Amino acid sequence: MEGRSFEILEHPADIGFRAFGGTLAELFANAALALLSIADEPGGVEGRQEYPLEAGGSDYESLLVAWLSEVLYWFDGKRVGFREFRVISLEPTRIEAIGRGEPGHGAKLIVKAVTWHQLRVAATPHGWVAEVYLDI
Amino acid sequence: MPHEIAIERVDAWRHRIRRDERRGMRTDVMVYAGESLLAHIRRNLSLEQAMNVATLPGITGPSLAMPDIHQGYGFPIGGVAATEVEHGVVSPGGVGFDINCGVRLVRSTLGAQDARPRMRELITQIFRDVPCGTGSEGFVKIRAPQLDQVLVKGARWMVENGYGEARDAEFAEAGGALEGACPEHVSERAKERGLPQLGTLGSGNHFLEVQYVEEIHDREAAVVYGLEEGQVVVLIHSGSRGLGHQVCTDYVAIMNRKMADYQIKLPDRQLACGPIRSEEGQAYLGAMCAAANFAWANRQAILHFLRGAFRRIFGEGARLDLVYDVCHNIAKRERYEVEGRKREVLVHRKGATRAFPAGHREIPAAYRTVGQPVFIPGSMGTASWVLVGQPGAMQETFGSVCHGAGRLMSRTAVKKGRDARLETRKLEEAGILVKSESRDGILEELPDAYKNVDEVIEVVHHAGLARKVARLRPMGVIKG
Repeated sequence: MEGRSFEILEHPADIGFRAFGGTLAELFANAALALLSIADEPGGVEGRQEYPLEAGGSDYESLLVAWLSEVLYWFDGKRVGFREFRVISLEPTRIEAIGRGEPGHGAKLIVKAVTWHQLRVAATPHGWVAEVYLDI
Repeated sequence: MPHEIAIERVDAWRHRIRRDERRGMRTDVMVYAGESLLAHIRRNLSLEQAMNVATLPGITGPSLAMPDIHQGYGFPIGGVAATEVEHGVVSPGGVGFDINCGVRLVRSTLGAQDARPRMRELITQIFRDVPCGTGSEGFVKIRAPQLDQVLVKGARWMVENGYGEARDAEFAEAGGALEGACPEHVSERAKERGLPQLGTLGSGNHFLEVQYVEEIHDREAAVVYGLEEGQVVVLIHSGSRGLGHQVCTDYVAIMNRKMADYQIKLPDRQLACGPIRSEEGQAYLGAMCAAANFAWANRQAILHFLRGAFRRIFGEGARLDLVYDVCHNIAKRERYEVEGRKREVLVHRKGATRAFPAGHREIPAAYRTVGQPVFIPGSMGTASWVLVGQPGAMQETFGSVCHGAGRLMSRTAVKKGRDARLETRKLEEAGILVKSESRDGILEELPDAYKNVDEVIEVVHHAGLARKVARLRPMGVIKG
């Protein structure tokens, strides 16, 4: 891959990111880390606990929105910050993963939701790429 | 860059994109803007988004773009679309993630000259009493069964439980609670996200501003609203917090799954929709009403804590009365004459404000002789406006006008090369104290990030949608 896991995208009112991955599993994990880089307070996360995460969709795009919404729910609803994600299984309609992190995390920025706006998951000659916009 | 869209000038305040501009459009786009605002609007994708909205099944009348329109996701922010109730669709994205994000204006018994010397104390006290910013938890501690009551009763629940005065609920759009709320259609996740956040301002563009009435433009309406020059007022901008965000998240996903069953194809999946009469459409509307009611309860709780802060600084004699409360993000069933026929439509207001004229029965009796008050916040360094709804809005825009100044610069662009302390000092020199939990919170909302609110107001005033009543100037700003 191009040596980076994600980059931030500009939007007139909101914010987005482009995530990369050599595999789809890596792409989904990096997209979740991109989301948290925008939302979570600085200072790092200890990977003290494991949290089982899952989401369903009808294709990779809808699965990505569902997956990121799952991570956002744990972060905004349960204040869990994540350090890393290990994808256990990934099909176009279902993802199961383990998130390693800790409770008690506050937000740097309130991310309201993951949008479907200009949503893209694509295979390139160098690996997978996804573009996602967030409502902030 | 967006391709050049053919826009025709209707008059000085109106422009039109014809439905044949792009395949799939079922109706025209009507843009309420003069030449200079239009030049700003054309720089981003907002008109493309308004054209996408024109493809929604069952859209009736034009897809409307207000002068504060800016690029959103799916729908533009500052857009209005009405769909037929019988054969049209409801789009959760057409309401947005922050369901019933809105503003309430509160008038005080204080004059600006009395309040200014104590503004720092007041702002500090409000900052202490009204939870705001990221991760804040509310002082309204309730359990899950009570939350269901809040979702049905909205602002009324707050008043009945000691967080307000009897007249507060009456002076809110829909009496501070929409009928038809179905807490059972609100997911457990949404309730979990919302429960600790009741009575919190939030962050981003949410704010609480202490202002004064700088100029009166319509004395009759101002008297009816209890406003006079030099008077201290407070504008509160907040919404349904995590509860509303999750409701929208849940139903956009559901609509995306179900659209194929209804043979609906759209240019942007964030526009995902379903027939109003479908099971999913009805479930969403029930959940949306519940989230809207949560937002009214939220703003009511904030008013309650604000009253406490004012009393602590200015004594028991300092009264705060609610002028009115309007929503910006909502879908409502209303009746309009369309093409010569009275029709019931579902009006999606995404970053738009209802603006009913004099005589409308949904306006509080006390305001019915002049019309519904409309509040348009500008940026924190400029001004906000009080308007009154006009008959033109009923004839042209499904009783709607703009909702703010409209963003011009991205949050990252406005921050570049700026220092929060310096910017705060500049605002202070202009007589505006700002307090925020974060430096980014101040920088992202600097006046340069927004269009000129006065220019936006000129459009709706001259187009006959709403008339100027009063211009408000900020003195103290709390950014979430």
